[in-house]
Amino acid sequence: MTSEERTREILKGLYDAVVEYDEEAAVKWSKKALEEGIDAYTAITQGLAAGMEKVGELYANYEYFVPELLSCADALYAGLEVLRPHVKVKQVETKAKIVLGVIEGDIHDIGKNLVKIMFDAAGWVVYDLGKDVKLEKFVEEQQRTSAEVVGISSLMSTTMLAMPKVIKMIKKQNPNVVVMVGGAPLNLEIAKQYGADGYAKNAGEAVKEAVRLVNMKKKDSVHAK
Amino acid sequence: MDVENIKQKAAMLRERVEALLQGYRSERVPLYPFLLGFCARNVGYPISSIYTDPVKSFMAQLWTFEQYGFDGVPEFGYASYGGWEFGGEVKFPNSEWEQAPMHGRFAVQSEEDVEKLKLPNVKTDGMLPMAMEFSKLQDKFGMPISIVLGGNFTIAGNICPVEKLCRWMIKKPELAHRILRLATDHIIEVVQYWVDTFGAERVMPKIWEPLAANSILSPKQFEKFVLPYVIETNKKILAMGIKHIFYHICGEQNLNLPYWAQVPMGNPGIVSVGHQVNLTRAIEYFGNTCIIAGNVEPAIIQSGPPQKVYELCRECIGKGKYAPRGFMLMPGCEIPPMSPPYNVYMMRKAVEDFGRYNR
Repeated sequence: MTSEERTREILKGLYDAVVEYDEEAAVKWSKKALEEGIDAYTAITQGLAAGMEKVGELYANYEYFVPELLSCADALYAGLEVLRPHVKVKQVETKAKIVLGVIEGDIHDIGKNLVKIMFDAAGWVVYDLGKDVKLEKFVEEQQRTSAEVVGISSLMSTTMLAMPKVIKMIKKQNPNVVVMVGGAPLNLEIAKQYGADGYAKNAGEAVKEAVRLVNMKKKDSVHAK
Repeated sequence: MDVENIKQKAAMLRERVEALLQGYRSERVPLYPFLLGFCARNVGYPISSIYTDPVKSFMAQLWTFEQYGFDGVPEFGYASYGGWEFGGEVKFPNSEWEQAPMHGRFAVQSEEDVEKLKLPNVKTDGMLPMAMEFSKLQDKFGMPISIVLGGNFTIAGNICPVEKLCRWMIKKPELAHRILRLATDHIIEVVQYWVDTFGAERVMPKIWEPLAANSILSPKQFEKFVLPYVIETNKKILAMGIKHIFYHICGEQNLNLPYWAQVPMGNPGIVSVGHQVNLTRAIEYFGNTCIIAGNVEPAIIQSGPPQKVYELCRECIGKGKYAPRGFMLMPGCEIPPMSPPYNVYMMRKAVEDFGRYNR
């Protein structure tokens, strides 16, 4: 049985490895966690994922930028590769699901990829449709996966014009799904105008906003019953 | 084409900008163009023609500038510049939602590809033959000659996916530096070719730098990976005898302004800033050496009510009108092709209503 102090030390090692974007350290501490009997799920959620949550904050506060965020994600995934096979199936909470993609006509996917990292780290199930995604594909994938959230990204002011159309298509099939939009030319005002439920200014804020919106929808549906 | 008629039109379109470059103001703030696909749609051409057909591109812009009262001359280029020239592929817009050329395949996919990279032939590679054909039209009609290029970091991010470039900046900086070295040498070679063809007096390089924005890079990373290359490039360009460099500092670059202010842009240079940049601060940083242009939010020109566009223009003019070396009202980035014509006209109305100088 690992002492509490040692457990804290290993979890901090995992946390720091992600925040300091040190892939080798992430692997080293992940192996130590397993060797010393720390539960893999705890190591992920309280070590690696907690580190990535901090990275999201640093990014949102302009202390970290894209090069750091991507390198932190590399450390996260290096640790996850070691730990994930050891997570017991029954431990995994049923997390929300999100369908993500860059809208039709747009191939700028760096923002969407950063958002994917943050949702991955927070334990969401992510269905990544990639870039230049046909509008119908968002609808089909949401229906196939029953994802609670659809996240749509656009970097071009022209491609963002397709958003009202796709939001309407998604809502027509499933009015309860949360649709979030993001990307450089958008803001909250335009998002609302387009019929989206939410908007996140950056990847660091996207998960919190998604959780808030999903909880709000749940409350609304309870009240409706 | 009626050469004399076009020459006359073009001369009128550039009067106000020429005045600022020569150190005096005309009767009002110029309205500087940044619209490409919009011009194609305006005259019934496909958007792609702006990027693939120099003659159509030239005429569509000329006619549209005349119609809307823009103070500038046609230009030829796009932000994804560099990928095709270095051996990758670019895809031209051809669907309902597409606005500008995009990457098809990047020249660099792996570390080994970086070693294989070679400088392009500036006479034959990528879009450069079309750009030269376009500049020959500018020459034929007696206009200043422009060559539009990506900035050093933007070209690097068009040679190799920007995510890879960002990772290498931290883990293998020597690879990022090699790509930036090649991008720098390429810009200098292209400008030299234009100078050799048309003479330094007539050439104005127009450089667009969206990828070095703070939505990607920290100011420290900018200082290390962008600034030295930009300074070197511009010093060498100015040493060729070029008088003015036009720099479009695209996107969120507020934290980079102190560094950009160290870059020589000519006498005066022209610095255009995105809507995310604080215009007053930009004038503080560049106003004594450069004409400042900006920075009406393009998404509002596309989606906002006309009154909002007009109001944004009024605010920009209010901040910029008395910048020491001059100010031009300009969109913060390209006017989206689907923008309502009346919203675009609002810019013209605003310079007429608020941009006049007391004599």
